[in-house]
Amino acid sequence: MRQARADEYAEFAAARAGHLYRSACLLTAGDTHLAEDLVQETLGRLYVRWGRVSRVGNPAGYAQTVLARTFLAHQRRRSSSERATDVLPDRAHDGTGDTPLRLTLLEALSRLPAKDRAVVVLRYWEDRSIEETADALHVSSAAVRTRCVRALGRLRGLLGEELGEYARP
Amino acid sequence: MPDVEQHSDPFEEQLSAGLRRAGAGFDADRAALVAAGAVRGRRRLLRRRAAVVSGAASLTLVGLGGALLLPGGGGKAPREDTSVGTSGRSATAAPPAVSGDALIRALEKLLPAGKLSKTEARGTDEKPGPYVSGVYDDGKGAAAISVSLGRVQPGSDEARQTTRCPGKVFVHYDACGTTRLPDGSVVMVMQGYEYPDRRVDTKLWSAELVTPEGQHVGVMEWNAAAEKDAPVTRPEPPLSPARLRRLAAAHVWRDAVDAMPEDPGRPTGEPTPTATRPAVAVAPTLESLLPKGRFTVSESSGDDTGFGYLVVDDGKGRCLVQVNVQEGMSDVAGELFGSGSETLPDGTRVAVHQGPSEKGGSGAVMWTVDTLRSDGRRVVISELNSGAPHDAATRTTPALTIARLRTIALSPKWWP
Repeated sequence: MRQARADEYAEFAAARAGHLYRSACLLTAGDTHLAEDLVQETLGRLYVRWGRVSRVGNPAGYAQTVLARTFLAHQRRRSSSERATDVLPDRAHDGTGDTPLRLTLLEALSRLPAKDRAVVVLRYWEDRSIEETADALHVSSAAVRTRCVRALGRLRGLLGEELGEYARP
Repeated sequence: MPDVEQHSDPFEEQLSAGLRRAGAGFDADRAALVAAGAVRGRRRLLRRRAAVVSGAASLTLVGLGGALLLPGGGGKAPREDTSVGTSGRSATAAPPAVSGDALIRALEKLLPAGKLSKTEARGTDEKPGPYVSGVYDDGKGAAAISVSLGRVQPGSDEARQTTRCPGKVFVHYDACGTTRLPDGSVVMVMQGYEYPDRRVDTKLWSAELVTPEGQHVGVMEWNAAAEKDAPVTRPEPPLSPARLRRLAAAHVWRDAVDAMPEDPGRPTGEPTPTATRPAVAVAPTLESLLPKGRFTVSESSGDDTGFGYLVVDDGKGRCLVQVNVQEGMSDVAGELFGSGSETLPDGTRVAVHQGPSEKGGSGAVMWTVDTLRSDGRRVVISELNSGAPHDAATRTTPALTIARLRTIALSPKWWP
């Protein structure tokens, strides 16, 4: 990598690592070890492609897309069929205010199939449109819509009123 | 369509807020993450896949130059593990390396009469992988050209995707085609653009070749003397698609790939995600269900399962038709099939939606027929009166009637 590009990459990575990590923690439903792994992998992939990535309109958005795909690729490798994790993930306690409700939210996320979770994170954490989410995950808008409906239904059932209390500022 | 982009449901608002709060609670040692990410990036490059990423998403790592002066000429010596030491060379029996200079000479020989200048190259034992580039002028204008070499796992998704033309719906190009050569190699030639949004009309034509052994050759040429930030010098890049294909197929490149040391850290045979049950290739099935002889198909998503699309034209304007084939969808039946839906005697539910396209250009509408069998198998087909999601309408209504969409969605061909 040329020096100028290398510098540009380093600057980008430093600026985005925090957000990528937070996204990864939500994707993994609080498995911080896996989240770190996914962020490193994502940054590694961006490093390799930086010449191109830096020229796309929105490298930050692209990085999030790579993260989501990396996460799904990881999940696919783990199990051949899509299945919600039945056991709580290996969650590192980082002492940053693990309120019971936060844990409840993460636990609810962990009960969603990986793809549904990716849709929820892109739609409601990244604020992407259905179309953008579909593009990022290589699925149709119809599939995103379906997954969204399904995931919201499950989360509503799991969280109910609790979420309202937690989300209140 | 019951699509509302804004989160009108209070629960969705709460979920967004909840995720923001939950997400904010996670913090990591960012410097460590960045450092580890860069290490992985370098390791990926070491895996010699760097300069060879598939098709439209490919990149060129601009040359690092500094070719080592090692004897040229690869060979078919067995690929033994080479311990990648600090020098990148190993004392163990590695196949003889092909130098950067040898690669430059190879390119020079393969090009038609003209002048090749400003050459840069890496040999097969140099990081991040063999590469040769230069500026070629056949007398009609200087043009940048580059060849990158690497390996892909034979038969892997990566290998397939490398040589599969990307959906034109999503990547801009003028032409793209994939050819299988007599030796079993597959080569894709794409006539595209340097900038996907075409803010500058620099053309980028490329050939991506993968042999049955997993040797990967990528050739790119531009109609400008540099990949970017250089004026267009000629209407088109110098090598025709056929010439480009031949250049990529030259055996000298494969010999060079064979001379690359195998990366000891490279995972062997990464499992490729494939469907667990037999599933139909969506686009070909959709094509087979179109009324015979009335439509021309200009684009297709290929053999993907689960989701596919075609761009069809009955002579009155292009239409994007997308299909999803899913299983285990019974749990959302209530939400997908409201009071306006129909239930067939066998329990299959059918819903029809007609409305403006979600992201459509002016005048674009989307017609959808959604079907769900009682066992949870779902086929949903959507059609636009435009050739791509963001394009303006090409006609007032889509080409296939609702009745036809319904017949297609209910076809037993989706479930062999």
